[in-house]
Amino acid sequence: MSQKRPLEGIRIVNLGWVWAGPIVGQTLAFLGADVLKVESRERVDMMRTLPPFAEGKPGPDRSLSNHAAWAGNGSVSLNLKEKEARQLALELITHADGVVENFGPGVMERFDLGYERLRQAKRDIILLSLPSAGLYGPLEHVRTYGLSLTSLTGLDSLVGYKGGGPIPFENAFADPMAGIFGAFAMVVALNHRRNTGQGQHVDFSQQEGIMQMVGPAYMDYVLNGRVAGPKSNEHPLGTAAPHSVFRCRGEDRWISIAVQTEAEWAGLMRAMGEPEWVRAEQFASAQARIAHIDALHARLAEWTAPQDDRALAELLQRHGVAAAPVLNVGDLLRDPHYAARKTFIEVEHPLGFRETIYGAYVKMSRTPAVVRTGPMIGQDNERAFREILGLSEERYRDLVERKIIY
Amino acid sequence: MNLPEASASASGAGALAGIKVLDFGQMVSAPFCAKLFSDYGADVIKVEPPAGEAARRAGPFPGDRAHPEKSGLFFINNTNKRGVTCDVSVPEGRELFTGLLRWADVLIENNLPRQMREWNLTYAQLQEINPRLVMISITPFGQTGPYSAWNGYDLNAFHLSGASSRYCGRPGEMPLEHGTFSADYFGAIAGAAWGMAAMFGRDLVGGGQQVDVSCAEAIAAAFVGGQNIGMAAQEGRFDLRTGVGMPLGAPATIVPCKDGHVWMLALERGQWEGLRKVMGDPEWARLEMFNDMYVRAQNADIMYSFIEEWTAQHTKAEIMEKCQAAGCPITAVFTIEEAASLPHLKARDFFVDIDHPDLGRIRNLGAPFKMPASPGGPTRPSPRLGEHNDEIYSELCSLPAAKIAALRDRAVI
Repeated sequence: MSQKRPLEGIRIVNLGWVWAGPIVGQTLAFLGADVLKVESRERVDMMRTLPPFAEGKPGPDRSLSNHAAWAGNGSVSLNLKEKEARQLALELITHADGVVENFGPGVMERFDLGYERLRQAKRDIILLSLPSAGLYGPLEHVRTYGLSLTSLTGLDSLVGYKGGGPIPFENAFADPMAGIFGAFAMVVALNHRRNTGQGQHVDFSQQEGIMQMVGPAYMDYVLNGRVAGPKSNEHPLGTAAPHSVFRCRGEDRWISIAVQTEAEWAGLMRAMGEPEWVRAEQFASAQARIAHIDALHARLAEWTAPQDDRALAELLQRHGVAAAPVLNVGDLLRDPHYAARKTFIEVEHPLGFRETIYGAYVKMSRTPAVVRTGPMIGQDNERAFREILGLSEERYRDLVERKIIY
Repeated sequence: MNLPEASASASGAGALAGIKVLDFGQMVSAPFCAKLFSDYGADVIKVEPPAGEAARRAGPFPGDRAHPEKSGLFFINNTNKRGVTCDVSVPEGRELFTGLLRWADVLIENNLPRQMREWNLTYAQLQEINPRLVMISITPFGQTGPYSAWNGYDLNAFHLSGASSRYCGRPGEMPLEHGTFSADYFGAIAGAAWGMAAMFGRDLVGGGQQVDVSCAEAIAAAFVGGQNIGMAAQEGRFDLRTGVGMPLGAPATIVPCKDGHVWMLALERGQWEGLRKVMGDPEWARLEMFNDMYVRAQNADIMYSFIEEWTAQHTKAEIMEKCQAAGCPITAVFTIEEAASLPHLKARDFFVDIDHPDLGRIRNLGAPFKMPASPGGPTRPSPRLGEHNDEIYSELCSLPAAKIAALRDRAVI
């Protein structure tokens, strides 16, 4: 018998769109759940329209970045503008354990798929909602983009060069993070259901989830009234020096170096050949180094600048120093570590092209993740409507013809 | 307003009631992961070396006076846990630890693989002690691959993910992290999701297992990979950071205003028209060179200088309120202080006050998500060093008081 996965037997109807919601589905699918993403050709999700496309041929089933982020989700197509389609979605939900959505407060109610309606249809259903700022409260309808949502948490105010203003993070770190976090919330809710028989409506405010990341700076505010600002790559709590990235030889090559212990400091000095300047009073203790961190970083930058980032990382590691090259996107595919861990894999898509996506981003010793390609719109329609709902061939064809299933 | 229904039917116990967890971690990743378990009702025991884990020395401390019971980082990541000390590097300590492992369902740790080998605490060894154990290991680089032998911290993991090179910093200048332990938090959440699933399905799959999280890999895959790897593989090209929120459409970046900064976003036609209206329909905004988001991006420097003339006269709160009302997704870049006092978060009862024996009453961040039927979030303070040694070693390991005292004398606990 083949190895079972931990969430086998769990079915999720995923009404999530764009990025965070689909990542919830992907994570649960990696772990063995049957995830049916509901979408429609009537209004193709913008993620499906992002270039580049497989073999350069545009099409909603060929967006490469879409495939990577959505792989694992199944797909059923329902035009939710139609009442009959909404009824079919509800019927699918009666055959599911959990429902995921990231539309924003009130939208599910407008589809007549609000929690109360779902609960009437299936008593112990779990609905996981991931709105920007929660299901209620003065900012319930706040408009954000994924990349600006972090501004509501204080996080964006910490990003930037020391002494300067905030620098924008150029993509939505919050989206995959909230998606994976949401998958955790779903499993927690499944556990509660198993313990008690109760379903529930989980209110996952992305603001409150992501705000956990500012905990260290938040505590400095609570305890000392200090309001942190950008400080380049220095340690978030200011307890380590050196702690930054340093320029190396070549275009845009950098190395990260973090020294937290005396042993690591001694290792760094050995690797540098015990230079004369180290003996200065200002570098004599960890406290002194932290107090003179700018001068220390300037000295180190002089030393790293002519060196190769990878060779230098190897050298520093041999001396016990936490150092690693700063990788760009191109490096990710060539890096021996990611290659060994099969972080990125080439897969054959059912439409006949090969594409590179990420696989299991966590490794499980007993139950390695099930990795699939990005879903084609409606690829699971037959299974969902004929097998799970048991519609007759005739009814199914009729619904397809009338673009209810579309 | 859509208030959650009163939890009259709630069972009272948290959603993870009955799950027994050991937190054998330090600093951020494993402790925060274990906090997600303890805040939703699991019984979590924190196991620290006799000198205390590193977060106790990291601060922030009130008045910057270091004190092992007053670290803010330790406080915030260890609520709702009980705490014991145990020196696993000596045989007596290791034996004590194996006693705890027999009790536990889940072990969460973030020690470097070579450190766990040195302590004889590899998964292969722990599996023999407790085959049903789910071991969540969260490290910068993971348990396998060439860098698994490396020393590393959050900073090294984050910059190995491609995220900073691609998305954060000005071109040619130093790539940046977020100003917090981003890789640790990302890894912690991945560990919680996959590890909790391993626990949930433990009987179904036939036993425990190791859940190997590399913080660097999780970000490289799920964040950077998702949006970039397909193009890099197919076309052999990739993008670098630009220092601007979105280089291809505008306005879409952070701009200064009278009292700080705002995220200036008005891409779609309706959003741009809303912004124009809020700005008082200035003549410049009607120029053809600002017609749509693409040409605005081509003329970004001129456009941003006009916009900043206007934002300089208004506060972030004013700009956010008026622009949101006009349909633009423009938000204030809240400082930590502003985020910590947002009326919205207060209205949602996000913050919780916790009494700590050494820190006093502390206003803490609340649960990351709300579960009406099984409420979560911090309710009890982080444990003092070795606070529950007597209770736990006598109840769970059945040690007599004299034995516990002897272990204490020999500094094993």
